[in-house]
Amino acid sequence: MAAIFKRELRSCFHGMIGAVLTAFMLAATAIYFVALNLGYGLPDFGYYTLNRTIFVLLLYIPVLTMRSFAEERHSRTDQLLLTSPVSVGGIVLGKYFALCVIFALPCLVDAGMILVLKVLGATGTSTLANFSALLCYYLMGCAAIAIGVFLSGLTENQIIAAVSGVAVLLLAYMMPSLRTMFTTGSAVALALFTAIAAVLSVVAGLRSKSFTLGCLSFAGCCVALTALFLLKSSWLTEAFSAVLSALCLFTPFEEFVNSSFSIPTLVYYLTVAAVFLFFTAQGLEKRRWD
Amino acid sequence: MIEVSHLSKSYGSRPAVQDLSFTVPDGQIYGLLGPNGAGKSTIMNILTGYLAPTQGEVKVAGFRLPEQAQQAKACVGYLPEQPPLYPEMTVQEYLDFVAELKGVKRAQRKQQVLAAARRTGLEEVLPRVIRSLSKGYRQRVGIAQALLGSPQLIILDEPTVGLDPAQVIEIRNLIRELGKAHTVILSSHILSEVQAVCQQVLILSKGHLVAVGSPEELGETLNPGSRLRATAQGEPDTVLAAVRNVPGICRVKLESTADGQVTFTAESEDAADRRAAVSRALTEAGCTVLALAAENRSLEEVFLALTEKTPEQNTPAEGEEN
Repeated sequence: MAAIFKRELRSCFHGMIGAVLTAFMLAATAIYFVALNLGYGLPDFGYYTLNRTIFVLLLYIPVLTMRSFAEERHSRTDQLLLTSPVSVGGIVLGKYFALCVIFALPCLVDAGMILVLKVLGATGTSTLANFSALLCYYLMGCAAIAIGVFLSGLTENQIIAAVSGVAVLLLAYMMPSLRTMFTTGSAVALALFTAIAAVLSVVAGLRSKSFTLGCLSFAGCCVALTALFLLKSSWLTEAFSAVLSALCLFTPFEEFVNSSFSIPTLVYYLTVAAVFLFFTAQGLEKRRWD
Repeated sequence: MIEVSHLSKSYGSRPAVQDLSFTVPDGQIYGLLGPNGAGKSTIMNILTGYLAPTQGEVKVAGFRLPEQAQQAKACVGYLPEQPPLYPEMTVQEYLDFVAELKGVKRAQRKQQVLAAARRTGLEEVLPRVIRSLSKGYRQRVGIAQALLGSPQLIILDEPTVGLDPAQVIEIRNLIRELGKAHTVILSSHILSEVQAVCQQVLILSKGHLVAVGSPEELGETLNPGSRLRATAQGEPDTVLAAVRNVPGICRVKLESTADGQVTFTAESEDAADRRAAVSRALTEAGCTVLALAAENRSLEEVFLALTEKTPEQNTPAEGEEN
């Protein structure tokens, strides 16, 4: 795992991509920092700089992650990794941590900007709030990196990995507005959950290579959902909106922008990262069975 | 070292390898021979844990695949069909990376990398970027990579493809030398290569194993009759008639006539040596024997005979191997 981590890190800076991405990210934050924080003398770094540069992540993260697995597969070097005595989990984590370290570079410079604000007279409380916002910003980026890595593992074309990464992150970015379009009627919720149950059952059936198990689990889910729909339909609509809000990747960050420290938000980002890394490993594992 | 029983692998609905069983003992060089698309690479990918078998059991160095993949992979060095190289790294960086990846201890890493580079003749190119290397050198980097971590089993998928003749000979010598300390499996569609290097040959055709044995055994078992080729001076008709009269000779084929010299091949039903009888018969007929040699059926003929069979004949062909 350490070998993969080191190689990934080195290869990012061997080509221009690591340097260019870091410069791009820094230029974007610096503009907001100079114009708002310094220009107007505003000490709130989280709101005026970090929150406004989230859209830059929509481009930065997919370009950063597009190479990770797609390139290995394209150049057949994945054969070396997958036939080495390193577990699939180790391969995924090695690559993921390397990308997290690269994303940490602009964040470290952000930390420098926060210190500049402190020197210029920001209070201890606002400095603390700025740092906690930066922590959450970093974890949010890491969660997005996990999504990008997962998408890169699905294809051997880097462009497709990047474009689908932008699309998925953009969808998550716009989800708060999209949510209002769905009238949360319980029938819509039932349809959605049935579809999710169908997908999960197919996955379960394929994983266990048992047609019966897939059918049984789908039947079980359908019975449970119908029962819920008839008895407690409000639960369904609540769960529906909960699912939609879980898809708003960038919204929980606002908790930190409002200068409050929220443990659930941090847990949410760590969970997203863990889930997508798990999916990535499963995807790699599945390829050898095809 | 390797035990494979009833191995099958299909990609989707297309079968690549069907019901394959073989064992490879320690310390031998095995050749996997077959035309393109016979399933050689698939078998190698399964043995190295890159792919999982659809059915059947595979044991490498006593570890079951894919359940104990990690332990099994630690015993295997693998050169895939396309060497898995990172073009932006130097040879030194790349070999260091692979050594670390294979869990070679830090203290031994430098020495192992040097040893592998020396064996494959890479010492001068160690500081060069892989992108700038010729195909031959890239292939050697691929082999050096497979040697790291001193694996018990080395699997080479078409190791001499794309090399010039001098490099081919070098690589063959290297493989022979590797065979002294390791078990080696190599695949090839080039017969002379397998004949030159391997102690045992597995012949594959369309995903089936059609024959197993040493190159000499395969030549013999598949051709019970013997054959000889001779050149004699005299009229073609006289020569051929004289040879046809030798007891045991069943078929005589005229190859060429030039300057009163007749070259022909004669086949007999059994393996007995008929050179003396043919020579005597020719002399009695008043023809001078210029050349006379027994011919073994070459592996090439065996190979073509086995792999040209149509798929529906494959099942009886498998029975033939015994």
